[in-house]
Formats: sequence, structure tokens, C-alpha cells
Amino acid sequence: MSASRKQILVDPISKNNPVVVLMLGICSALAVTAQVKPALVMGISVTVVLAFSNVIISLLRNTIPNRIRIIVQLVVIAALVIIVEQILKAFAYDVWGQLSVFIGLIITNCILMGRLEAFALGNTPFDSFLDGIGNGLGYTAILLIVAIAREFLGSGSLMGYTVIPESFYEAGYMNNGLMILPPMALIVVGCIIWVHRSIDKDLQE
Amino acid sequence: METVNIFIRSIFVDNMVFAYFLGMCSYLAVSKTVKTSIGLGIAVTFVLVITLPINYLLDTYVLGPGALSWLSPELASMDLSFLSFILFIAIIASIVQIVEMVVEKFTPALYSQLGIFLPLIAVNCAILGGSLFMQQKSFDNIGQATTYGLGSGIGWLLAIVGIAAIREHMSYSKVPKPLRGLGITFIITGLMGIAFMGFMGIKF
Amino acid sequence: MNKNSNTYTFIYASVMVILVAAALALTNGLLKEKHNKNIEIDKMTQILRSIKVEATKDNAENLYKANIKTAYILNSNGQVVDESQEATFGVDMSKEIIRPLEERQLPVYEAQSEGKTLYILPVYGAGLWGPVWGYVSLQADRNTIYAVSFSHAGETPGLGAEITTEAFQEPFSGKVLFKQGDFRSIAVLKAGQKSDNQDAVDAISGGTITSKGVEDMLLSCLGAYKAFFEQVEAEKKEE
Repeated sequence: MSASRKQILVDPISKNNPVVVLMLGICSALAVTAQVKPALVMGISVTVVLAFSNVIISLLRNTIPNRIRIIVQLVVIAALVIIVEQILKAFAYDVWGQLSVFIGLIITNCILMGRLEAFALGNTPFDSFLDGIGNGLGYTAILLIVAIAREFLGSGSLMGYTVIPESFYEAGYMNNGLMILPPMALIVVGCIIWVHRSIDKDLQE
Repeated sequence: METVNIFIRSIFVDNMVFAYFLGMCSYLAVSKTVKTSIGLGIAVTFVLVITLPINYLLDTYVLGPGALSWLSPELASMDLSFLSFILFIAIIASIVQIVEMVVEKFTPALYSQLGIFLPLIAVNCAILGGSLFMQQKSFDNIGQATTYGLGSGIGWLLAIVGIAAIREHMSYSKVPKPLRGLGITFIITGLMGIAFMGFMGIKF
Repeated sequence: MNKNSNTYTFIYASVMVILVAAALALTNGLLKEKHNKNIEIDKMTQILRSIKVEATKDNAENLYKANIKTAYILNSNGQVVDESQEATFGVDMSKEIIRPLEERQLPVYEAQSEGKTLYILPVYGAGLWGPVWGYVSLQADRNTIYAVSFSHAGETPGLGAEITTEAFQEPFSGKVLFKQGDFRSIAVLKAGQKSDNQDAVDAISGGTITSKGVEDMLLSCLGAYKAFFEQVEAEKKEE
């Protein structure tokens, strides 16, 4: 793999992270992060949709009439999301129930439209595929960090398995119920941005 | 009474931004001044109020399980709900387009204020989210669906105007460097969300 | 060919719509059966949990067949209107609870445990964010609760969502619906509160609205079965 391709894949994970640097795709990201499992499934779903829609649009890039460009992109994304939803409903029914409407909201996830416009329309299918995977992973990474923090502190478990030993609770430790409530997702992301920008000073505003 | 409850709940309790994080992208990007926030907020409310009843009819008479039975009884077993994502987004995109054209033609003054925001709205999660939640909540009639749209829009407007007002004043505060801009906005939104949780359980 | 001509755009859009529609219809067609199966298995697992039978995805169907031998639909006077298992299983509670009481279909599932009959009744109501529902199993006296199982669509994890846990559901066992011959249902009360004329369980701390939703759901849904519960008394008197 050439260096430039490697860069396409790796860059979005930290330096050009779609969530904490470009502010894209936050909408659907946070509501599913109270627990690790739905967050992981959501991350994988977005990565899959992103990679495939990038490839499809990249393949079609020379044929799409400019006037209906946005509609074509929306239709491709929506169709892929429906397919992912149907597969989840068939093979991971409980997670499908937990994610409910947020699977549908992948359609309006700004990362998708953003990458299609900015990358897939001007690059080869293979590069677009790598770009999709890279951005998907960057998105998944943030989702997982938030979900791990919230599930660990809020429920004392990870992936549904209790990790904080019983003796802690006996000694008076309590789960922080606030972590599970929606507003804490925002505050956790705020803290991630804080840490990220303290390390990478170029990003500071 | 139920309708009043839906209205109040959708503004304060089921707030699009604080409870479901919908429409965050434009929320973060446009909330730098109060004036533009009001414009975008009104545009979102406007589009929600128009698209929700249409999508409600679509869901009730075309997509839902057995919804086509008014055409012929044989179609009662049809369930097209798997198509709802794609049709909802198609409706939203076309409505936004039509609204943009109508507003431009008949009220140029309004267009000069809302115009730039309308294209942004087609991919605003709050709009699609409104339709998807409407489908999940299975409202009794079209009036309730419209009320839900109006309430959600006002709730979103409230959130974005609130954060914009805070951000305008924040230019005078000493925020740690790495936290400036995006980071502090997230944290303040979180704190506003906690304040809004005080409305939980509100009922008439 | 001119990419910006109307004809090209129109043909392009049409072809795209047809292709996408075909792809989606195909996916849905292929997976439809699996979806329905999942929904059924999910329902069976919940029903089984209400009689303390833990089922997994693989054995739910067999366990259901082994445990639930009869099921029927009642009307609000306690008369059986439909005796088919399939019709009972197919009743959609979300649609039933908004009908007037006289028109409601009230499903009952019967199970056998150690030679005694258990009655399983579905309940459906509203929590904080969305619907809550569940199954309540009663002992042969149609008064004492044997066990319950609750589920929810989107209650807050750690708070309202705790209604699905053993800690919340276990205390329901052994509680009675009737006090001094009157139907009282079960109260869900904050710790420290007491109820004089009905049995009560503890609410979830921080999940007040969901707890209240469960209480209301039990009162309204089980209340519809009042005639069915009172049949036992009537039968006793006849003897």
C-alpha cells in the first residue's frame, strides 16, 4: 500500500477525525452511547454504509447528472441504510430494538454526505473505499470512547458484563446514574475535544 | 388535552437537541450569533410543520402494516414500512425544494432571511428524526402529528437561540485554549440539557 | 450524450429508482421471514419469562410449545370469544388498549406448573419515553401473582429501564390483586411510602415516571379482566 493511500485511511482517525475535528455526524452519534454494544454496532453500520456509498458514488461519478447529484447521493445512502437495517433486524434483533430510529438517522449523518461530496466525487473507487473505512473508524473510535466512559461510570459494566467488583459496592461505591442521561454524552465529547486539542495544538481555535 | 401534552413534551422533555442530539451539525455550525440562529430555527420549525403531516399521511395510508387496505382488502397484509426511510427523506428533500421556490417567488423578504438555510435543512437530522419519531410514537391523528412537529421545531429553536446567546457572551470569558470553540459549546449544551431535565414528567 | 439534458437526467433518475426499489424489495423479501420469526421468538421469550422459564433464541419455540398448551381471547364480560392459539398470539396490545372496554380482545395464555394452572395476561402502557409492556402470570386463584416480566422500548438505561431487572420484578411474586373482595391492582410506590388498601412493590429510584407508568398499566390492563377474575369466586359459590 502506498504512503498516500495509507494516509487516506489513517488521517481521519485522529488528525482529521470527522466528529471531534470536522464536527460532522454528531447528531446520531451520541444517543446510542449509553452502552458499548449499541455504540459498536452503530459504528460498524456507519462504517459499512460509508465505505459502500463512497464506492458506489465513486463508480458513478462520471455519469451523475449534476442537477440531481444530491438526490442521487441521498438515494444511494438511504438504500444502503435500509439494507443494513434489514440485516440487523434479521440477525441482531435485540440491538436493532435498542438502536430503533437512530439507524434511520444514519441517512442524515453529515459524515456521509460530506465524504461523498468532498472525496468520492473526485477519486477512484479504491481510494474512496479506504476513505470511507478510515472515516468510519474515526467515527467508531469516538463513539466507543464515549460509550466506554458512560457505561463504565454509569452502570459499572462493559458490553453488559459487570466489571466493577462487588466488594467496591459493599465499600460504598455507587454508579453515577447521571452518566447514563443524555446530557452527559455531550459533556464527555466536550472533554474528549479538550484532551485531543491539548495534545494536537494545531487544532486550537 | 393529549394534544397539549404532546406540544409541551416535545418542546421541553423530548427536546430534539437535549434529549436526542438531533440536528447537532447545524446547531454547532450556525449558533455563533443569535440573529442567524433565529433564522435557522424558524426554517427548521417551518419545514417540520409541513413535512410531518405529509409523512404522517404517507405512513398511515401507504407504508404501515395493512395501510393499503383502503385500496382493496387484498392488500391488507402488505407492509411497506421498510421503504419508510427512503420515502421520508425523498419527501423532505422535495418539500424543502418546493418551499424554497415558493418562498422565493412570493415573499422575497422572507427568502432573503431563510433562503440560505433551506438547503442545509434537507440533511438536518432533526427533520428526518421528527418523521421517524412520529412513526414510532404512532399518533392517533394528523393534528397530533402536526403539533408534534411544531413543538419539536420550537424546542429546537429554543435550544439554538439559547446556545447562541451564551456563545455571544462567551467571547468575554477566559476559556482554556484547547476547550475554546467546539469543546466548550458541547459542555454548555450538556449543562443546558441537565437544566432541561427539570421539565421531565411535566403534564397537564 | 449530453449529461445535462433533461432526457438524460430523467432516464438516469428513473433507472436509479427502479434499481433501488428492486434491490430493497429483494432484501426485504429474503429477510421478511426471519424478521417475523425474531418478533415471534421475542414475544415467546417474554411470555415464558413471566412464568419463570428462561428461554434462549434457539429453544424459545420448543419451550413455548411445551409450556403454553392453551390460549384464548376473552371479551370484557369474561366470555371466551376465540379459542385459537394463533389468534390469541396475534393480538396486538397497542391497538387493543385504545379501544373502548366493551370491544377489546383480552388474550389469556394458560400454562401448567407442578400440576397447577397459571394464567398469563399481557399488559401494555406508556413509560417516560415510549411504550412499556409485559406479561403477568397469575396462580389458579386468579388473584395471586406468580411472576411478571416487563419490557420497554426506550426508557433511560439505569433508571426507567431497570423495570426489566429481577430486582424490580421479583417483589411482584405473591402479591394479590384483590383486597376485601375488591379489585385493587398493585401499587408501585417510592421507598418509604405505604399503601393501606392494596399490595405494593418498590418503585425504581430516579425512575418515577416509568414506575408510575407500570402502575397505571397494571391497573388499566388487568382491570379489564375483572370479570374473568371474579369467575373463580362465582365457581366457588356454586360448589
